[in-house]
Amino acid sequence: MNKPDGKSKGYPGGMRLGEAYVPFQIYGETFDPKTALMYGTLFPDLFRPYRPAHRNQEQ
Amino acid sequence: MYDRTMVEMLKELQAVEFAVYELALFLDTHPADRRAWEDHTRLVNKLKQLRRAFEDRFGPLSLDSESPFPYRYINDPWPWEIQY
Amino acid sequence: MWFYEKKLQYPANVRRCDLGMAKFLFAQYGGPDSELSAAVRYLTQRYTMPIPQAKALLTDIGTEEMAHWEIIGTLIYKLTEDATPEQLRAAGLGDHFAQHDRALYPHDAAGVPWTAAYIQATGDPITDLHENMAAEQKARTTYEHLISLTDDDGVIATLSFLREREVVHFQRFGEALMLVKEHYEHKHIFY
Repeated sequence: MNKPDGKSKGYPGGMRLGEAYVPFQIYGETFDPKTALMYGTLFPDLFRPYRPAHRNQEQ
Repeated sequence: MYDRTMVEMLKELQAVEFAVYELALFLDTHPADRRAWEDHTRLVNKLKQLRRAFEDRFGPLSLDSESPFPYRYINDPWPWEIQY
Repeated sequence: MWFYEKKLQYPANVRRCDLGMAKFLFAQYGGPDSELSAAVRYLTQRYTMPIPQAKALLTDIGTEEMAHWEIIGTLIYKLTEDATPEQLRAAGLGDHFAQHDRALYPHDAAGVPWTAAYIQATGDPITDLHENMAAEQKARTTYEHLISLTDDDGVIATLSFLREREVVHFQRFGEALMLVKEHYEHKHIFY
């Protein structure tokens, strides 16, 4: 049963239902400035290049 | 027509300024991260040097930059007119 | 206050005149999830943020969005620079030309003018930060649609840069959300 403060047993890290969570970025490797500008981020950890599905099928 | 050296120096400035901006956003939510702060400090100094070198040669980038006479900030090309 | 820097954030190039693509890019110039909406949204919401990290972040991301608005404006300007009225008409920009010639008027891809109804500022920092995270996702999706509509490698490189910024901003707004929640828990404020 849920406790009155909304915290319930069994959810990792004390996370509560009905809320969104984003992990804090830990400072790690960085691209050199020219690469960072080309990719749109200084952080390899945050680099998520777009690969369109329909273009991959054509290859 | 503008100088290709201007474009190359501008791109270097863009790269370093982008890295500074990215670190600044990181520091907004991580103000006590020492490594990020060190990288930010180092790149801010590099950016200052690059901006000064650019402005000495190609004129002011901002209205609070010193300009030779006649006032050179207004000169073409403006950012949307440059082939990078 | 702000000082203008006479420089784009990203070196935006186009390979050729492409009026159809220029029309589509208006989505990010004056559409609901445009860079203009993003800038006005964040720079409006920042006043009612409860903690310094969030005030700083909304100011700085809002400012970066203005630089992105300038990049989209540059792409449209370059893509339409040499077009004749006949060519603009053939590309579906005849109604734009009738009212605005080649001016960069803020409307969406279908010509609907920009409106503040595209944004919200509720005064509730948690709600506003969720709106911003959703806005970054919507803009990311729009950039993916736009990338799929062109084969101009200059335009693709620029749109890919802007798309990646949405990913980074989402992360930062998420961190701000966590910090605001922590702040409220310390102050025993329920949300």
